Amino acid sequence: MTSALLHTARRKWDAHSQRPFTRLVRLFVGRVFHGSGESAEGELDLSLGLVLSLLALPGGFYSILLLDKYSTLLQWMRGQHDFDPLAAALPDEYFFIVLSMTVTGVVAVWRWDSIFPDRRDYANLVPLPIPMRAIFLANLAAILFLTLVLALDVNAASSVLFPFVVSASQNTFTLFAQVLWVHAFVVMLASIFSFFAVFVTVGLLMVTLPYAAFRRLSLYLRGTIIACLAALLATSFAVPSMLRQLPGTSARFLPPVWFLGLCQLIRGRASPPLASLGHVALIGSAAVLVAAVVTYALSYRRCFVRIPETTETIPAYGRANLLWIFPVLDRTMLTSPFQRAGYRFVMKTLLRSERHGLVLGGFFGLGIVMASQFLFASFNGTQIEAGNLPSAEVVAIPLILSYCIIFGMRFVFDIPTEMRANWVFRLSLDKTRHECIPLARKLILTFVFPWVVAIVLPLYGYRWGWRVGILHAVVVTLWSLCLADLLLLRFRKVPFTCSYPPFRDSAVVLALFCVLGFFVFVVLTSKLERWGLSNPIVMTSLLVIMFSSWYGLSRIHQGIEGIDNELIFEESSPASFELLDLGRGT
Amino acid sequence: MLEARELTKSYASVPAVQDVNFSLAPGQVLGCLGPNGSGKSTTVKMLTGLLEPTRGKVLFNGEDIHKDLVGFRKCLGYVPEEPNLYPYLSGREYLELVGTLRGMPRSSLERKIDALLDLFSLHAHRHASIASYSKGMRQRILLIAALMDDPKLLVFDEPLSGLDVTTALVLKNLIKALGQQGKAVFYCSHVLEVVEQVCSHLLILRKGAVLACDTAEAIHSGIEQSSLETTFMHLVEEVDADKITRDIISAMEAA
Repeated sequence: MTSALLHTARRKWDAHSQRPFTRLVRLFVGRVFHGSGESAEGELDLSLGLVLSLLALPGGFYSILLLDKYSTLLQWMRGQHDFDPLAAALPDEYFFIVLSMTVTGVVAVWRWDSIFPDRRDYANLVPLPIPMRAIFLANLAAILFLTLVLALDVNAASSVLFPFVVSASQNTFTLFAQVLWVHAFVVMLASIFSFFAVFVTVGLLMVTLPYAAFRRLSLYLRGTIIACLAALLATSFAVPSMLRQLPGTSARFLPPVWFLGLCQLIRGRASPPLASLGHVALIGSAAVLVAAVVTYALSYRRCFVRIPETTETIPAYGRANLLWIFPVLDRTMLTSPFQRAGYRFVMKTLLRSERHGLVLGGFFGLGIVMASQFLFASFNGTQIEAGNLPSAEVVAIPLILSYCIIFGMRFVFDIPTEMRANWVFRLSLDKTRHECIPLARKLILTFVFPWVVAIVLPLYGYRWGWRVGILHAVVVTLWSLCLADLLLLRFRKVPFTCSYPPFRDSAVVLALFCVLGFFVFVVLTSKLERWGLSNPIVMTSLLVIMFSSWYGLSRIHQGIEGIDNELIFEESSPASFELLDLGRGT
Repeated sequence: MLEARELTKSYASVPAVQDVNFSLAPGQVLGCLGPNGSGKSTTVKMLTGLLEPTRGKVLFNGEDIHKDLVGFRKCLGYVPEEPNLYPYLSGREYLELVGTLRGMPRSSLERKIDALLDLFSLHAHRHASIASYSKGMRQRILLIAALMDDPKLLVFDEPLSGLDVTTALVLKNLIKALGQQGKAVFYCSHVLEVVEQVCSHLLILRKGAVLACDTAEAIHSGIEQSSLETTFMHLVEEVDADKITRDIISAMEAA
């Protein structure tokens, strides 16, 4: 009986899924996950399950970290006898709202190009006997479906774990259920709001700007949106304390505060100003949804329908005002034709390739977030300065930025751009005589050295004296050189021209290396440097260690020259097992 | 079957195609020739309904195609110039998608896909993603997609691009056979030899206007030229190819 029912249901679903409209919706949903790039071989090989798990991870992880805060045993040990879990949950609720908006917003920015139907959709679908409105409606349905899936996925773990953690001390299912539904409703609505807010921004730009101008502005706008989301995340620990000053504080303009107001409104715990912000959240969500549909319809009409009338070629980015830099670098830094060509190729790719720009921007944004956390901690903790010297947190800020930029650059070098075009390098380079490491080192330092000299040195020098400024600039530069050389060990590829390394095989080791590296490069170094600033012997020792490390790494680079030094264009994953073939020759 | 009447398309008041008139009857294979920028692609886009003409109309069986685009496209098989496919789908999945969207019955769709994949030597690669296909394989997928619903009208824009010699030969024979079967074929290409072999009628465009439109024999005899290449050069090109060749060699050899 059951199998017959299942069989019938399956047959009906099969028939339904083969309808043209359903097939179109499936196509558009698949396209968002697979990207709209020309070559799928250039896309990072992440399975759908892995992507969904990664998106759900931050919320679940943070919920588990809160066990300590809501633990009854720890409350008892701290002497907290009148613990109100819902009142204590307010800052955490705010953080979850911000996290949900940030993750969803970043995904919307990441998949920016895939949300709207493009030239390829036009070429494949429009010549077929399907009405244009079917394409329009199918893409709209796909967008709505994906938004719901995304909102569910990003908040699924926290929607279960966080209410569980908060209500654990009370042992009542009623409280758990109440926290669960309110939390789940609010964070999902916040996610949807965030997704459609990004969507409206893209749509408005597409409607108002010429195509070429839109493409040119797109990267900068995406960077700005990510920076805004990162700033929301970075300030999420500070905002809840400002809520007491509502409505006088500027925090009332922050969308996450509206959703926190909605959360408190539903729970019946909102102050009048917070309750009114809760209503703003509801009105705002509805308005953004309507605006998204309207801008989508307008941009569909203006851009998609007119694709054959627009030119496919996008004019190259004009950088005429910066072109004088290259001859100067040729004379001073780029010592060979390989370095000159490679430097230009990499810089232009970074400036023009959205994927590379976004990944590097993501690392830089992470650096800004962590740096702001350190700055925040130094303001709220001890002091921004101890005596006439900067605190360890303030010392750490340039190190954090440098660490994130160098790691970001090294990571970005492994992301290929149009693999099929690398034949020009294969054809024209001598595989055994290349200068990939010096080229990569110079590229990395281009992104570190200028701001160390132009910002760190004068800023720290002005605030804490030139001795501190110069010493700090020297430490940041030397340590950056060491990190760059460490990450470039056995580097033998022209950036962007080699296939992806097997990230999935070594992801855990890489993550551990990143965390450990951060501890050594930032935390330990900043504390040692802070100590060294007040103690010349420590500073001298620190500088000697850094010079030695750098020298040691240079020797290692020279030592392994000739071993596996051949330029590569294909990364091969290590075989699970290899035959030793001991029988050969017997 | 297909008729272009005073077909004109302007971009920002600059005409790309101007007053193009021709008709394509069932059984005819009409070759469209012209140098770069002559308006071939714009004409093809207007014929397939992808682009709306600024003036004039395209008639299919006496009806303006824009009155019932969906109905017109049901009778149309189109191979575009660029094999712009979804790289993450397999060849078979792509054809299933096209067939489903064309409203083909499931049973005949699967049968036709398998048969055509086999005939175009793609059966072994049918489950591989299109990203891994060569240009020729992508082109063959486009050809199958255009042919599998047995359309009455076929529009080919450089269909031999990237194809190997054998497949190109098969396709040339196929186009002639389709014409003999009563299909109307509009064939757009730069390759004069192929057009000469395949097409019964010629449409020669230059700077967006029609220079000649007739049977190949009529055009040859009209201007007393023996081959299509000389006819084409006579009608279209105003350049001295020998002089340009000499200039290129001089530029290469210059210090």
